[in-house]
Amino acid sequence: MRRGAGRGCRAAQRALPPRYYGALSAGEEATLARHLSSCAGCAKEWEALRRVLDAAGPANVFPRESEVDWEVFARAVVARARAAASREAITPGAVVGRRRFLPNPNAAAGLWAGLAAAALVIATLWTLSPTLRRRDGGDGSPRPPERLTAESARASAREIEDRLARRSAARYLSDSRALLMSLVQAPARCRKPGGGLDMSLEAERSRQLLRRKNLYEGDLDSLRDQRLAGLLRQLEPVLMQVASLQDCAPAGQIRELRDQIEQRQFLLHIDLVTRDLQRRLNVV
Amino acid sequence: MEPDDFALMDGIRNDREGAFETLVRRYQRRLYRLACGYLRNHEDALDAVQETLVRIYVARGSYRPDAHPFTWAARILGNHCIDLIRHRRIRPVVPLEAASDRPDGPAPLRLLSPEESPLERQERRELGQKIEEAISTLPATQREIFMLRHFGEMRLEEIAASRGCALGTVKSSLHRATRAIRDYLSRCDPPVTSGTGEGERT
Repeated sequence: MRRGAGRGCRAAQRALPPRYYGALSAGEEATLARHLSSCAGCAKEWEALRRVLDAAGPANVFPRESEVDWEVFARAVVARARAAASREAITPGAVVGRRRFLPNPNAAAGLWAGLAAAALVIATLWTLSPTLRRRDGGDGSPRPPERLTAESARASAREIEDRLARRSAARYLSDSRALLMSLVQAPARCRKPGGGLDMSLEAERSRQLLRRKNLYEGDLDSLRDQRLAGLLRQLEPVLMQVASLQDCAPAGQIRELRDQIEQRQFLLHIDLVTRDLQRRLNVV
Repeated sequence: MEPDDFALMDGIRNDREGAFETLVRRYQRRLYRLACGYLRNHEDALDAVQETLVRIYVARGSYRPDAHPFTWAARILGNHCIDLIRHRRIRPVVPLEAASDRPDGPAPLRLLSPEESPLERQERRELGQKIEEAISTLPATQREIFMLRHFGEMRLEEIAASRGCALGTVKSSLHRATRAIRDYLSRCDPPVTSGTGEGERT
């Protein structure tokens, strides 16, 4: 508050933040506008406040918000919420487990394997059971018998495996992208004496990603996607470099890594391949 | 016409199709900004938002319409973030350039410009960091009220109701918070508030 400001000025200045947020009544707004037109000091205060709060917009303060594909995020949240609610219904009081963006890869693999097995069982029952084949159609007329052969069941299982592999690849790439972004944009200063940048979390995340890739390797090869395979081949040595960083890495080393990431346009390539994988997942 | 938040929450409680999806799309960014205010880390904030929305869905039966749904969501998020801060290592981040061994001086700070060059983008990033620092220096109550209004886009009455305090208290906390942010930025070198650019409300 300006020194020497009168009661009118004090009241006016208290009303400035609510004015910015559109929380004044019409009467209050008119009174304040009259005061600002006759008081240069308060008018200056208003301009300064407006400039600061404008500058504190989300685009400045949260620049990474625009990196998030919020549509994909929303779909992942809804899927996870429904799964958590079903678990809660089966085992009331169960703690909602926390996990990033998409479910645990092992759990997902188990789920898809279970679905594949269920598909095979249904297919077998369908082929063997005449009563199932003779089930009526919706309009009461007998439905023509569908022949779900062992071949089509195998095709379904293959399709499920392909979807699983694509999903794993998309998740691996988006997690790798997040790691590289964090490396490029927001390293943390090391707290140990001697300085440098704290890379302990990034190195650990890299090791986890490499372990995860080893787990998926066979599945990813089965996709026979040259572009994906090429990108994964190029990405691996970078992740290995990050995984081998010391907990307190010299800033120069991180700058070299950043230059490498930028020169080879990793983030762009990852984006393109991930979008392609997600598009195929949505189409299939 | 889009249903209001109370109608949406009613739809979620009654498992109406599409209600939860609409709520997620409506709240996710606002919650993300609040989470960033607590955690100051992009990935942690995304995790916290996801966890909060999952908890909202799982606990939808326990929601009582005496609180605005966003107030309820913000409270769940706030509690979750506080738990995370207590149990996990949260790291303050620095821009890579600032970690340089060379004594490069900081780039001058300026307000928004309509056409942005890489240099301006860098300046904007630095400005964002300064503002984040300014917000982090506020006392807890002022910070929370400022975050709920500025980034959570909650009405002052809703904030008062969610905190169980008078509207006047919210207004005076907001006044003190905005003033403290302004003072902090004016002490920066060069002072941020001395810029001549006319910012646009975002």
